[in-house]
Amino acid sequence: MNFKRKLLALVALTMALSMVMLSGIASGQGAVKNQDTMVVQSFGGPGTLDPSFSYDTASSGAFLWTIYETLIFFSGSRTDLYVPMLATEVPSIANGGISRDGRTYTFKIRQGVKFHDGSPMTAADVKYSLMRFMLLDPPGGPAWILLSAVLGLDVETTRDDNDKLIPDIWDRTNRAIQVKGNNVVITLKDPFGPFLNIMATWSIVVSKRFVVANGGWDGAKATLAKYNGLPNEDQYTLFDKASGTGPFKLDSWDRKTNTVVLVRNDSYWRAPAKLRRVVLQTVEEFGPRRLALQNGDADYIAVDRADQLAVTGIPGVSLVDDLPILSTDAFFFQLALNAQGNRNIGSGRLDGNGIPPNFFSDIHVRRGFAHLFDRDRFVREALRGKGTVAHGPIPKGVLGYNPKGQWYELSRDKAIAEFREAWGGQVWERGFKFTLLYNAGNISRQTAAQMLKEAAESINPKFQIDVQGVPWATYLPQYRGRQLPLYVLGWIADFADPHNFAQPFLSSNGAFTGRQGYKNADADRLIEAAARETDPKKRAALYAQIEEIAFRDIPTLYTAHGVRLVVKRSWVRGWYHNPMFFVGFGYLYSQSKQ
Amino acid sequence: MTAFVGRRLILLPVVAFGVTVLIFALLQFLSPDQRASLYVTDPRQFDRIDSIIRAHGLDKPVHIQYWNWLKELAHGNFGWSKTASMRVSEAIGAFFPNTLELTIYMFIPIILIGLWLGTKAAVHRDRFADHFSRFFAISLRGLPSFVWGLIVLMLFYGWLNWFPPGRLSLDADLYVRSDQFRTYTRLLTVDALLNGQVWIFLDALRHMAGPILTLVLVEMALLVRITRSSMLEVLRQDYVRTARAKGLAESVVIMKHARRNALIPVITLSSLLFVGLLGGVVLAETIFNYPGIGKWGAEAAVQLDVPAVTGFGMFIALVTVLGNLAADILYAAVDPRIRVQ
Repeated sequence: MNFKRKLLALVALTMALSMVMLSGIASGQGAVKNQDTMVVQSFGGPGTLDPSFSYDTASSGAFLWTIYETLIFFSGSRTDLYVPMLATEVPSIANGGISRDGRTYTFKIRQGVKFHDGSPMTAADVKYSLMRFMLLDPPGGPAWILLSAVLGLDVETTRDDNDKLIPDIWDRTNRAIQVKGNNVVITLKDPFGPFLNIMATWSIVVSKRFVVANGGWDGAKATLAKYNGLPNEDQYTLFDKASGTGPFKLDSWDRKTNTVVLVRNDSYWRAPAKLRRVVLQTVEEFGPRRLALQNGDADYIAVDRADQLAVTGIPGVSLVDDLPILSTDAFFFQLALNAQGNRNIGSGRLDGNGIPPNFFSDIHVRRGFAHLFDRDRFVREALRGKGTVAHGPIPKGVLGYNPKGQWYELSRDKAIAEFREAWGGQVWERGFKFTLLYNAGNISRQTAAQMLKEAAESINPKFQIDVQGVPWATYLPQYRGRQLPLYVLGWIADFADPHNFAQPFLSSNGAFTGRQGYKNADADRLIEAAARETDPKKRAALYAQIEEIAFRDIPTLYTAHGVRLVVKRSWVRGWYHNPMFFVGFGYLYSQSKQ
Repeated sequence: MTAFVGRRLILLPVVAFGVTVLIFALLQFLSPDQRASLYVTDPRQFDRIDSIIRAHGLDKPVHIQYWNWLKELAHGNFGWSKTASMRVSEAIGAFFPNTLELTIYMFIPIILIGLWLGTKAAVHRDRFADHFSRFFAISLRGLPSFVWGLIVLMLFYGWLNWFPPGRLSLDADLYVRSDQFRTYTRLLTVDALLNGQVWIFLDALRHMAGPILTLVLVEMALLVRITRSSMLEVLRQDYVRTARAKGLAESVVIMKHARRNALIPVITLSSLLFVGLLGGVVLAETIFNYPGIGKWGAEAAVQLDVPAVTGFGMFIALVTVLGNLAADILYAAVDPRIRVQ
């Protein structure tokens, strides 16, 4: 056989082999694929299935309201209205579930609910679950949310400055959470407005019997130290196993492919779910995800805003856009920079080649930038119109949000006037130079930074801003070391309450302001008062004052509140959105495929 | 030969130790804050960075960190990989068989087609076969593997739906996870056959076809070029002329006298290629969402997952040493003039 014939034979053989492997050719359109199985493909899969460790959306999204349930739940798309779940009613003052002083909450625990291992759920399990969530307290974990709500705003950890377990933390928690018959009674140190909202997301009930049987904490004070503050995920009992009360049971978590398979809980306390199976797959690259959606191999895929066009117009695929999520993006001014070894501030002096460490402490500088940044254009062009212009930290959909809140008019003249006043006129005369960092890969933040740079440099050639995208590992130490003069970051809600935005953005010990060096005693007082207030009207009035301070002092230049894009096959039925759902696929119990 | 192999094997732990020291030393250029970035992924954790650093011992002196790591290693614990959500040793055990399987399947066509085309090109120098193979090699190497990967993915999954990405289709995956499927070798296609499940074997093959095709296209080209030039060199030798003068059939001259002698550089390249592929074919694994060791290693490096990077580095060093040892042994087998000292 000559070469050409052999070559032809090789090609023919390859084609034949390919055809042999064609067993699974699918049409991609038309008939529903995997009729009773929901397949979700996203990037960044779960890192743990233990509710006490999980503090990321991918992990929580895998188990929350699928495997595990909460005492109360959000009513439909509302974040301020609740329905009972594992409690039989939502506590209120009217039904006696909340005491008049707003400190004591009584949850009547539903009877007849069974965990996936067959054991009955009791009030003791609920108490144990809350204590476990609060007291295991992994470093950087979510325990602070319940700790501060129950034990007081100043309690955010179970350990002291030397990382030793606080001796009476178990006793205080044990006293605060009591079992009385079939009720769980929680007595807060102080009234706390967001408490019910927190419970709607974070009162995750696990089976004590299951945890203990698998070598986990038994709930006793004496054994707590052994389980508290462990650094790695697998040191937590429910890392890769689960026994909840939810409509789906954990079938498997293949960490090799980071795929979680859930199967229907046929002994569910309500009617069993319509779906027989849920498969949560991790596919880091967009290309394969997009093609899986097109071919019907995936029912939901995660899509970055930048990739929206690539999924538009695919037959059998629907896009649901403009779904509010509770997030706020902003530029943060560093009011007290660390100059030591700081390469972001040039000469470190106001000489046209740098900035002094306290450059942004002059409010005229901050206001100048606020007048320059075109937030409407940012939302329109960088976010393709998918977002809401932010007038303050509190996002749309949360108590206290003011769509007509005050903000600085977009005006070159006003910006120039502010910069002329800044530092006694030296800023305008000598100019400045500094580096504006964003975490590389975040296109919208890059665009925001670039827009601010261009706007500033267009009013005075002596103004120079160097925009740099850096990896997170480079960004974080500079942030922590207070070496970033001006930076872009965002915040997503832990719970749907204005406190979760006012506190990090404006409290003197907030996650952001604590680093920025911003302090305002009035803001601190108002934030605390608003947190302790339980009357929504009074709270709204207090948050209006807090937003007024955010405008007046402008330690932070708010840009936009985000919206979510959900991309799914059109055959998905029963989907709805709630801003507090951590993941786009929402509440799977109510869903099916056509 | 035995002494040589023994000496090389004794060197393995030394190499492994050296690699870990090197990686640890390099990682010390990163501050504790930088290494903590693996665990701090959200502004909500900003207030708790100190406790995260202390909990993971990132603030301890380097020799203490290294000593602690060695102590754990003595108990078979390479540390915890946050990127894989499992222990490093588990991760190696989970990901490496996938890459090994992929490598074997792609290596066979690379060698067979590469040798065949390269030999044809040399024997038929400046004729169609030669022009074709050279054009073939240049055009395939002309595009980077991720471009070929995307083309293959678009064509064979997006359009034809023949070769899906990932490891298995949903039904096969659920079957493999079930109690009905036993794992013998961790090589999925082999285990599928040992379980008598031909459909799983074919399904696994379908899912590997994309990365295999991509890498065969790209890597084969180099082998064609090397084989061709090596063959041309050998075909000019006196002993080949002598063989022809003796009246031996051309096929015997080519296959027995020329090609065998031309194999030395081919073996060198092939061993390097094989070891390189075993180290992980990062782009192909990433594009095709194939859970191989390269994809994991790359993610670990990007996220500064120190235990994972150290364990991965050590493992790959061992694979490299063993790969080179295998090449040395092959030299002697192919060419009796070479005696391993």
